[in-house]
Amino acid sequence: MKNLTDEELMILVSNGNLDMMSVLFERYHTRIFNFLLKMTRDRDVSQDITQEVFYKAIKYRASYKKGKFSSWIYTIARNIFSDHYQKQKVAAQRLDDIEYKTESEDTYTAEKSEIKEQLDRALEQLNESDRELVIMNRYQKIKYQEIAEITNSTAGAVKTKVHRAIHKLKDYYLQNT
Amino acid sequence: MNCKQIENQLIDYLDKNLDISTYQKIDLHLKSCENCTIALQELKSVFKAINETPEEIPDNSLKVNFEEMLQKEKVALESSKVVSLHGKKNIWKTALQIAATITLIVSAYFYGKTQQDESFSQEIAVLEKEKKEMKQTMTISLIENESASKRLQAVNYAEEFEQPGNEILKALINKMHHDDHINVRLAAAEALAKFSNSEMVRNALINALEREQDPSMQIELIQILVSIEEKRAVPSMEKLLQNEETPSYVRDQVKIGLPNLI
Repeated sequence: MKNLTDEELMILVSNGNLDMMSVLFERYHTRIFNFLLKMTRDRDVSQDITQEVFYKAIKYRASYKKGKFSSWIYTIARNIFSDHYQKQKVAAQRLDDIEYKTESEDTYTAEKSEIKEQLDRALEQLNESDRELVIMNRYQKIKYQEIAEITNSTAGAVKTKVHRAIHKLKDYYLQNT
Repeated sequence: MNCKQIENQLIDYLDKNLDISTYQKIDLHLKSCENCTIALQELKSVFKAINETPEEIPDNSLKVNFEEMLQKEKVALESSKVVSLHGKKNIWKTALQIAATITLIVSAYFYGKTQQDESFSQEIAVLEKEKKEMKQTMTISLIENESASKRLQAVNYAEEFEQPGNEILKALINKMHHDDHINVRLAAAEALAKFSNSEMVRNALINALEREQDPSMQIELIQILVSIEEKRAVPSMEKLLQNEETPSYVRDQVKIGLPNLI
């Protein structure tokens, strides 16, 4: 089973062989978790969303249409993330509450290097869509073409936006030093 | 390349996403330009910081919860299979009922159809004819409208006719030659291209190329004449090639098209 591609495994899952999802979980859950962690800066929320991503992947297995599996799973992750974000806005979470959370995050990983902290701060200064593009392209190493599939765009447009976002990130990063 | 252009390509440069000649050009520039070298160093430091970010490991509970959820889903899938097995006999009965209903509807439809078909189709034919005539009249009156967008609409209507009358064709040709608005003229030429089986239209297109001064119309006409394989247009194309005042891109279009006609 370990030799099968993601797509072959997912086709098996969509045909009712749910056990194959464990292999896909092994291959993807850390990446998805890290993607969400960078987006939310909250371990607990990221774990919850990762859990939900794989739940949805099983539940909606019939909607998988033989495309690239990684694009599909990231699409699901993005949707759940933005739902979550929307809900948070509706709940009008108090600002200091969020502040407190990120702070406790910082103390949680006390060994965090100064560079990483600067970088995270710069990342946070980007708007959400720029931040997402940088995370997908640079942290997750997803190619422009695949990001285009995930975000419903074209490779050219994605590349231009990613480059612009990187330059912004660079400026923020250097300002913070 | 100037510094701005270089800076825009530095990410591709670091990603090794460039062809060799661009890569070398940037290399050369970097040797002599301090600002760009600094910009490159800055980008490198950001990428280095990103690449050195360690991957975080989720708690083990994530995997445990996943396995638990998977088991539940498997049980749910099994039980849904059982239900569908029980229902199998009923499915056949329902299918037969549906089939019978469909047969009834279809046969009723055909019975009614044969009864009414003749008078009905005659009526339709008359209506179709009236509609067509009305559309032609409307198109001709619209095509003389003051507003350019109305005229453009009319030209687009005209294009939809399968066999337009001579009146329509004449109106289109007139628009192609004389309309004040270039877009209307282009659209008219395009519409006429569809009716190139008419000799009148062919002659008009050849004439138009001979007299045309506007480069975008010239290009359109050349493309049309090539696509309908009109050999009589060759002399006027050659004339365009020899004329000093012809813009180079029009000449290029002729060069591309001409071999297909000769």
